[in-house]
Amino acid sequence: MSAQIPFFDRKKIFYGIIIAVVSLYIFKLFQMQILAHEQFDAKASGNSIKAIEQIALRGVFYDRNMKLLVENTPAYTVRITPAEYDTSWNKKIETILDLDNGFITNMLYKNRIYSKFIPLRVKRGADFSAIAWIEENSEHLSGVDYVIEMQRGYPFGAMGSHVFGYSKEISPAQLKKEEEYYQPGDLIGSIGLEKKYEKDIRGVKGYNYILVDSRRREVGKYKEGKNDIASQKGNDLVLSIDGELQKIAEEELAGRAGAVAAIEPFTGEVMVLASSPQFDLNQFSYVTPKDYLRQLMGDPLKPQFNRASMAAHPPGSTFKLLCAIAALDLGVIDPSTTLYCGGSFSFGRSFKCHGAHGSVNVITAIEKSCNVFFYQLIFKIGLDRLKEYATRFGLGKKLGIDINEETRGLIPNSAYYEKIYGKNWPRGILVSLGIGQGEVNVTPLQLANYCGLIASDGKTFVPHLVKGYLDENKKFHSYKYKEVNVGIKQEVFNIVKEGMFRVVNGAGTGTSIKISDIQIAGKTGTAQNPHGKDHALFVAFAPYENPKIAVAVLIENAGFGATWAAPIAKKIIETYVRRTMPKTAVAPDKKNVDTQLGVEPIAD
Amino acid sequence: MRISYKLNDRFDLTIFLSATLLVVIGLLAIYSSTQNTILQKGNFDKQLISWGISLFIFFFIYSIPAQTFKLAALPSYIFSILLLLVVLVIGRKIGGARSWIAFGGFSFQPAEFAKLATILFLSNFLSRAETDLDNLKDIFIALAIGMTPIALIMLEPDLGSSFVFIGILLALLFWKGISLFGLAVVLSPGIVAVASLFGPIYFVVAIIFVVVILFFFKKDIFLSGSILALNIAAGFFVDNFYNILSPHQQKRIQTFIDPNADPLGSGYNAIQAKVAIGSGGFFGKGFLHGNQTQLQFIPEQWTDFIFCVIGEEFGFIGSLFVLILFLVLFLRVLRLASFAKNEFLSLVIVGILTVFFVHFLVNVGMAIGILPVIGIPLPFVSYGGSSLLINMTMLGIIMNIHRSRKEST
Repeated sequence: MSAQIPFFDRKKIFYGIIIAVVSLYIFKLFQMQILAHEQFDAKASGNSIKAIEQIALRGVFYDRNMKLLVENTPAYTVRITPAEYDTSWNKKIETILDLDNGFITNMLYKNRIYSKFIPLRVKRGADFSAIAWIEENSEHLSGVDYVIEMQRGYPFGAMGSHVFGYSKEISPAQLKKEEEYYQPGDLIGSIGLEKKYEKDIRGVKGYNYILVDSRRREVGKYKEGKNDIASQKGNDLVLSIDGELQKIAEEELAGRAGAVAAIEPFTGEVMVLASSPQFDLNQFSYVTPKDYLRQLMGDPLKPQFNRASMAAHPPGSTFKLLCAIAALDLGVIDPSTTLYCGGSFSFGRSFKCHGAHGSVNVITAIEKSCNVFFYQLIFKIGLDRLKEYATRFGLGKKLGIDINEETRGLIPNSAYYEKIYGKNWPRGILVSLGIGQGEVNVTPLQLANYCGLIASDGKTFVPHLVKGYLDENKKFHSYKYKEVNVGIKQEVFNIVKEGMFRVVNGAGTGTSIKISDIQIAGKTGTAQNPHGKDHALFVAFAPYENPKIAVAVLIENAGFGATWAAPIAKKIIETYVRRTMPKTAVAPDKKNVDTQLGVEPIAD
Repeated sequence: MRISYKLNDRFDLTIFLSATLLVVIGLLAIYSSTQNTILQKGNFDKQLISWGISLFIFFFIYSIPAQTFKLAALPSYIFSILLLLVVLVIGRKIGGARSWIAFGGFSFQPAEFAKLATILFLSNFLSRAETDLDNLKDIFIALAIGMTPIALIMLEPDLGSSFVFIGILLALLFWKGISLFGLAVVLSPGIVAVASLFGPIYFVVAIIFVVVILFFFKKDIFLSGSILALNIAAGFFVDNFYNILSPHQQKRIQTFIDPNADPLGSGYNAIQAKVAIGSGGFFGKGFLHGNQTQLQFIPEQWTDFIFCVIGEEFGFIGSLFVLILFLVLFLRVLRLASFAKNEFLSLVIVGILTVFFVHFLVNVGMAIGILPVIGIPLPFVSYGGSSLLINMTMLGIIMNIHRSRKEST
């Protein structure tokens, strides 16, 4: 064919291309590094564009009545830029900022792997006097500056330490996983709602482009800030928590170890989730002072432990409601079935009741909290069928509430006992299970949810702390939660609720909290505690005809449920009903109860 | 000096020392650019270890019989095509392209290996006695061998590596002795494609250019017609191909066409890279003293923008030294191409030279602002274990061919 190029020339062409390209590059480098060096040098040491991150404002928390629970308040943050800092100032700065001795040395050492030009936060929420001192000495304090950053504030007065949670500076391990968004020194939700809703409330970081010189000193805005990207505030959360009730619960629990959980029946909205003792969120966030941490760790009551959703104790007599529901639903008893209580029950050994109740039906058994009735009932139900009902009512399983701090608790089944004792496990174990003692373990949150399910005839939504969020235009968007339906016959609920009504309004174990114009239905419980005094329990819902609140109260090592737990539930219910349903509260007692006067209320 | 002569006779010290010096300079630049970072602090140590392993492999490849390369051509090509398919499914996405395969703690880019495999297989095909590049059928077979890995790499999509393969294909066809007409057939669709990227007017001008060339060669009407159709198709294909590209690559192409389009995104890197090199001056700012480098104004300085570290901290003297090392390496390797004992090995040398050269061309051109920002490492210098390993392997092949040049076939 045509126009062949001889081999020799082809090699020459290769030589030509290589030499031409390298020469071109050398020429270009000569031009850049020698001829135009001054201009580039001026650009490098004079002006360079640097993107400065603008931290977004975290979303705030409102309660169900749009009262502000968690807000952002401006505070001074003191920072040190390691590359410019003179460490001989350590002692002085530590004193002024009230930091632990050696804090700065330690901080510089921990951050030695990061760029020495990124400022490190030494103290958030510094006093004004400290800022004044830094301002006065700014000439000598190179590499020390301060900025105004937002801190969390709790204006309502409800502490909510376990629910709200706190943010901490991101750890290197977390940073590795989430490096596309976070930078060293950024805050990230650590527990509670601050952690669970981190992605919703953190907002979107912005960037300001500024001109800096080679020592990163700011010399002006790049293009007058035309290219800046404003940060976007995070979404504000609207909680289902009722600030006032939460505050009351916290005050009532003060000085004790215990928990209160309150849920709105039918909706699953958690109105109260209080755990005591609490800890100070203001102290705990960001960098916890060593002394405070030592104090918390040393406290035998473990203040950081969220008792409301993590403390699993035997439910005591509050469990009898579940046994009654299971037995009625399975048809092993009917409302007219009576069992005889002579004051004790023999099964290998003697199991006691608190009184001889004679022949009792299920309603009276609940009202009087008759142990012998339920000792017999559990044999009729069977352990595995009981567990199945417990699971339907959310006992002994994670409910999926929107904080991570939740435990499962335990409802044993026959497989469980077989594992421990072998095939022929002693059936005597069952006796005490019937009255909620022994290996059954449930959390106060599970009890409130269970009581709420009884109140709402078995229909609700997965319990949750957040109703929805407000977008930037303050428009409300609700979160969707899974529906729950336990699928039990309506008559069963009517019977059990009747029993619960009589506990408070009849001749039952909870008559001490009876209020003439608010109909409360409840059940007392006392969980035997092999390590000390019994735990007091109480579950209740109100109003009886139109349930709006279900409460569970746990007071550890207190004694009888009726004495210690019930009054707290009463106070919460009364406050809530009087505030939200003033008409219902004054309505006359519609229900007639054949009050058996003369019978002393018995604590079970 | 007889001993030294004998050594140089079997072992081309010039080539080996140039590459070694480049690795050492690379290590210095990697250390300088990562010592202040969080996540890349270990890169210097990793690169040092990779170099140690690469040297073992280099000496192994250097010592094996030269016939091995011909035998390995077909299996390694098939294997590399399979790897390129696998990476599309299980590959890890880094920087917008699904181009990495990871197993255990080790990860590599199949495209790196495919470069060598394609060189071996294409050289094998071109060096057959019956291959005739005046025959369009053989040109198309050669194109198919070269375009298969390109197509797969475009799907990742990894623009930088695709350029290297285009370079290999053109260089080998040219070295084998393709006619000017054949070259026009191979090149014109590419020219039309690039032209159409700039807009419809450029596309029309390029098509007219093709028509003029076809008229000049006076081939029969059927052949000319199909070549014209191929060119038009290439122009339209580019529009679709542009959409396959990842957003960051689209942005980079836009930035190249109009550098002011995005001064803070892709353009920012290009500007900062030039500032770093330009501010280095004649002697440079000194090791560990480049403020652009130390303040991390330029991303990925230990890989794609490593030349900026050299330019800023070692100045014109340092950059010139690196360019001269590359020049020596290229010219010395090209000289060997005519000493190889058969055509296959000669083609292999040219193929490897092309890989080194295109990497150099694109990487340095990008750093000094002559070419658009395309992520591709600088051979022997940039951080990257699998890249260093394959480069040292290819160096081993060159030195092997030099060693065995006087052996009988």
